Amino acid sequence: MSDREKFLKEKISSLVPKETELESRGEHFHFQAPVTCSVTTSHSIAVGFGDGKVRVFFEGEKPRIIDAHNGVVLSIATNGEYIFTGGDDGRFLKLSQNGDIVEIANFNYRWVDSVASYKDSMVCSSGRNVYIWSGDQKKAKSLEHSSTVGGLAFDHTGKRLAVSSYGGVTVWERGERRWTSKRLVWKGSHSKVGFSPDGKYIVTSMQESELHGWRLRDKVDLAMRGYPAKIKSFAWVGDTPHLATSGDHQAICWPFDGKDGPLGREPVCVADCGKQISTFIEPLTGEKAVFVGFNDGSVLLSELDENKNPFVIRNPKGSEISAIAISPNRSHILIGDLDGHILWSTLWKNN
Amino acid sequence: MNDMSQVPVTVLTGFLGAGKTTLLNRILTEQHGQKYAVIVNEFGEQGIDNDLVVDADEEVFEMNNGCICCTVRGDLIRILGGLMKRADKLDAIIVETTGLADPAPVAQTFFVDQDVSDRTKLDAIVTVADAVHLSSQLGEHHEAEEQIAFADVVLLNKIDLVDDKAVENVQNRIRKINPYAKIIKTNHCSAPLTEVLGLNAFSLDRVLEVEPDFLESDHDHEHDDDVTSLSFVSDTPLDMDKFQAWFGNLLQEKGQDILRSKGILNFEGRDDRYVFQGVHMLMDASPMGPWPAGKDRSSRVVFIGRNLETMNLQEGFEGCKVA
Repeated sequence: MSDREKFLKEKISSLVPKETELESRGEHFHFQAPVTCSVTTSHSIAVGFGDGKVRVFFEGEKPRIIDAHNGVVLSIATNGEYIFTGGDDGRFLKLSQNGDIVEIANFNYRWVDSVASYKDSMVCSSGRNVYIWSGDQKKAKSLEHSSTVGGLAFDHTGKRLAVSSYGGVTVWERGERRWTSKRLVWKGSHSKVGFSPDGKYIVTSMQESELHGWRLRDKVDLAMRGYPAKIKSFAWVGDTPHLATSGDHQAICWPFDGKDGPLGREPVCVADCGKQISTFIEPLTGEKAVFVGFNDGSVLLSELDENKNPFVIRNPKGSEISAIAISPNRSHILIGDLDGHILWSTLWKNN
Repeated sequence: MNDMSQVPVTVLTGFLGAGKTTLLNRILTEQHGQKYAVIVNEFGEQGIDNDLVVDADEEVFEMNNGCICCTVRGDLIRILGGLMKRADKLDAIIVETTGLADPAPVAQTFFVDQDVSDRTKLDAIVTVADAVHLSSQLGEHHEAEEQIAFADVVLLNKIDLVDDKAVENVQNRIRKINPYAKIIKTNHCSAPLTEVLGLNAFSLDRVLEVEPDFLESDHDHEHDDDVTSLSFVSDTPLDMDKFQAWFGNLLQEKGQDILRSKGILNFEGRDDRYVFQGVHMLMDASPMGPWPAGKDRSSRVVFIGRNLETMNLQEGFEGCKVA
């Protein structure tokens, strides 16, 4: 090798980012379909794909493949034991972690856009309707809304169900005999919805690249704005807690402690990735830290502290991060992107 | 907006009974080896021969973005997003609208939603019109006018059921609303599919083909609500600042009445052709390479809309010329 070749080789290798620790010790899979959704169950991480398959990852095993849908797995949820999925084949399925499939409902040409579950209750939405099965009921209770449902979420008690749609959120409360509803109004189209861990707030992501929140006690509105892109992912982080959100060049984390939550307060902004836009947020369970996935495929881990530097967990691979999940005992992490790449690795060096 | 990996979306409009489903089934049976997704709203009336049919409600909603007439199709944002996650690549997506639908929210969805415009592109709006009933429908329903005004292609169907004179009359009526749409006269929607699909009609470089050959100043006095079109040409270069000020203000104030606009502009001191096209208040604009050597540099703009004669368009356009 001539000196010039040597020089060029060194130069090039210095430009290619080194593998991260997680990348070098983890397993790499490439499935031929986009990763669409993921959920952590009692013993595994279940991942939905654009080819209709659900792949279930257990520690120390090869992923188990479930041929679930005849199209895209649009949504996924768990009650711990079972996995619930909705697909663009119109089916709502209940899957065991071992791969048994039970079809709960079939809406044919209407997609099952969102699903949720809490203990013995399972819920899905198709079009404007939400269907709830509780206990061993064979027939679903149907709840109608004025427009297509954007998202579903139970609160921490399982007694309240938030349903987002155009113009706001309907909060359904399970009574002795029937479900009653309250409407939270805000103009615009609401998609993903979630309760705060203490059940005091509801937050939605909107078509208009902003978040909207309500304090349930008095329906005070919380508008969280200034994002350059749509907020595809948000999650509650730490004990305080903070609402960590995607849709910017970093993770924007709004404080929800105190009496007024984020009202009149500045968010904490961490895990800056230059020009890239964050697309997925996953808290590091039990810590005040968050994994942030970006549209170029990179993933950073950062404490919720603007003065700390983030760690590079995954280098850019070119495709948007669409799933990050931590295994139930916090030993493993799974990262998936829209090209169908999965990185499955131990989270810590020594296990 | 011109990435090759964007999946083209064709929008089929037309009144109930005009022949939309006939056209749809022809596309699906004749284009062998192509993978299409079809989004329908009146599913069940006639069968659709495709394995990927999505049933949706036309959900038109207002954007909270300060643009008063900016409405989008929420169901399209959701469904196009879902279709883009499929493992198999789609060759095209066809959206069939209900008979009484205004095409503007569909078109505006492609301007407003980043995810939609990153992964898909509006190919063309194809309107199927019934040669027997179109004239009366135009008088009774403003949606019929809008469907003609927005069309890149009008399939004038069922011409075997009317005489030549009537065909000519209805064709003149279409021309008056939209002189730029390509009119294809058919029975049973039997038009060549190459004239319906893959047109790229919303791409900016297609605006370069807009021909200034009609320049009628003798507009009949129209009923106030009628949709008409006006076009202007200038061989004198335009002042960029003046044009931006006038045009921006025009769309802001009159965007509700201006259904579609397009133009090629020759700005003083610039070598590039500037091209724009708009739907109501929303606009897409870009320089499109230098003017061809040795050819005249003339600016031309076209408007299709209501009450155009009240907008002083001629004076406004003249005022943009360099002094």
